[in-house]
Amino acid sequence: MAVALYGASLVYSVFLWRRGFRQDDRVNYCLLLAAFLFHFLAMWKRGVSFQRCPVHNLYEASLFIGWSIMLALLVLGLMPRLRFLGVFASPILFGLGVFGLMPMLDQVHSEPLAAKGTALSLHAALTLLAYGAFGLGAVAGAMFLVQEKDLKQHKARAVLSLLPPIQRLEAVVKWQILAGLALLSAGLLVGILWVPAPSGYSIRGDFKVLWSVFVWLMYAALLGLHLGFAQRGRRFAWGAVSGFLFILLTFWGANLASPLHSP
Amino acid sequence: MSSVVVIGLSHRTAPVELRERFAIGEAKLGAALGALRESGLAREAVIVSTCNRVEIYLATDQDPPAAFAGLRRFLSNFAGHDGALEAEAYTLAEPQSLRHLFKVACGLDSMVLGETEVLGQLKQAYEAAVKHHATGPKLNRAFQRAFNAAKHVRTHTQIQRGSVSVASVAVELAEKIFSSLEDRQVLVIGAGDTSEKAARALLSRGARSIIVANRSHERAVALARELGGRAVTFDDWFKEFVAVDIVISSTSAPHYILDRQKLEPVMAARENRSLLLVDLAVPRDIDPAVNFLENIYLYNVDDLQTIADDYLRQRREEVARCDAIIEEKLRDLMESAARRPNPPDNRPALEQPS
Repeated sequence: MAVALYGASLVYSVFLWRRGFRQDDRVNYCLLLAAFLFHFLAMWKRGVSFQRCPVHNLYEASLFIGWSIMLALLVLGLMPRLRFLGVFASPILFGLGVFGLMPMLDQVHSEPLAAKGTALSLHAALTLLAYGAFGLGAVAGAMFLVQEKDLKQHKARAVLSLLPPIQRLEAVVKWQILAGLALLSAGLLVGILWVPAPSGYSIRGDFKVLWSVFVWLMYAALLGLHLGFAQRGRRFAWGAVSGFLFILLTFWGANLASPLHSP
Repeated sequence: MSSVVVIGLSHRTAPVELRERFAIGEAKLGAALGALRESGLAREAVIVSTCNRVEIYLATDQDPPAAFAGLRRFLSNFAGHDGALEAEAYTLAEPQSLRHLFKVACGLDSMVLGETEVLGQLKQAYEAAVKHHATGPKLNRAFQRAFNAAKHVRTHTQIQRGSVSVASVAVELAEKIFSSLEDRQVLVIGAGDTSEKAARALLSRGARSIIVANRSHERAVALARELGGRAVTFDDWFKEFVAVDIVISSTSAPHYILDRQKLEPVMAARENRSLLLVDLAVPRDIDPAVNFLENIYLYNVDDLQTIADDYLRQRREEVARCDAIIEEKLRDLMESAARRPNPPDNRPALEQPS
């Protein structure tokens, strides 16, 4: 049901785009809100039935990333102009939903990993929330790129649309990346300090661990260049979009290549 | 039974030289309503006098042709005008008079389509008439419904969206780049009329300060004083570029005064903060190649005019929707008037103010 509503939001988003973002985005916001409620209900029921946070396989990870993007989106959407973030987020949310529903993703882990309890759940939840924050940063970055291109090319849509100013979008990108980095740092620390590797496994040299460190370094470099070396505007937005594209395209592969995360 | 009629001169029918002769200011309003009273033309009256129109709305017992003849005489006598006002003054009887009132309230009859100032002026005119005890059930109902229709049109259509002047489009552009105009520094190069208007508009939206540079330093100082900013000599304006966010240029220089080579090093010193350049000069002051630099947004006068025209076209597209709302509201008014006809009014035409 949630995926269908994300799909409806995607269709409506195309309509809003073609209309030049000239009308308030309340309908899309309501569609996404309804989708979020179903999404939350599904995750909650799953969490209750398995007695743990639903973040333990690729299906759950996909849903959790989508859920965390939606949560941040609904909060930011309280500001009317930032509601249009939903237009740019709905393709990602629909894509994540469809991907999550693919067969073979929803596999139950072997006992040793699933038994790690709270620390493992916290580690997974924090890192997936971080990817959600990076996702919303990418959405704001995409919105920045559209608005900036319209302004550069003197398109009337730049002024006629109800999109927010590009400086505000850049701030959203910055804060989302900051939040994502903080969450990812916390998630990695929890994983390293409180989630011991099962016997026969090691975190050293594990592909997913290396991948996560690379993602952390990539976003830290992006933020460092932005804050310390005045890499602003289009470059920063492209960095946020490219960073999340990298995560989207490699997350599942990194999981599958990691014996520790995909035993 | 009384009906609502209107006689008027507006920007559509009469030049400003004629309109100004018929203008009825606040000081003369009481006398005008008194004169109407003495003429026996009206049971109720509201006089609207703005820079673009002079209109008298009457609730009268007379037949419209007789009322119009009387109103023409009244207008000519009151303004001391010799002509007959045949072509310049328009006259409308119900329901066209009410439809016209609704259109005026919605800004559809304004020089700038969809502008909102006229609604405030209409409300002031109505309140002044109420103060002079010149209104009654007929005009009260008509004006209240007109205000209601204007509110409905404003919230349900886009007739009032966007700016249709070059100066205000420049401000809108700035608001699409910067989160807030507060704390923004504006540099005005060349103290032209449009650049002054744009600077004033930016100030009214919260811009922090204005720096003015002009070939005539005295003119720069005078404008800076007027705008609460500071003046710099024309040779020094480029030194301000590191700190400013918005530049409005309108010099009479025959060549570019700002190009890519000049700006590239400045952008590094500015730490690539966004810069809006508004080039209002013809010939242009700023090399168009500057727009290829990152974080710089350059608009010339044609770009701004194109956006203003787009807004106007968008407003024109909304007129049909506004007309539909007006027709609906007008039908409601006519039906409610038919259901609840005004009680017989035995007052003398226009009560004396107490």
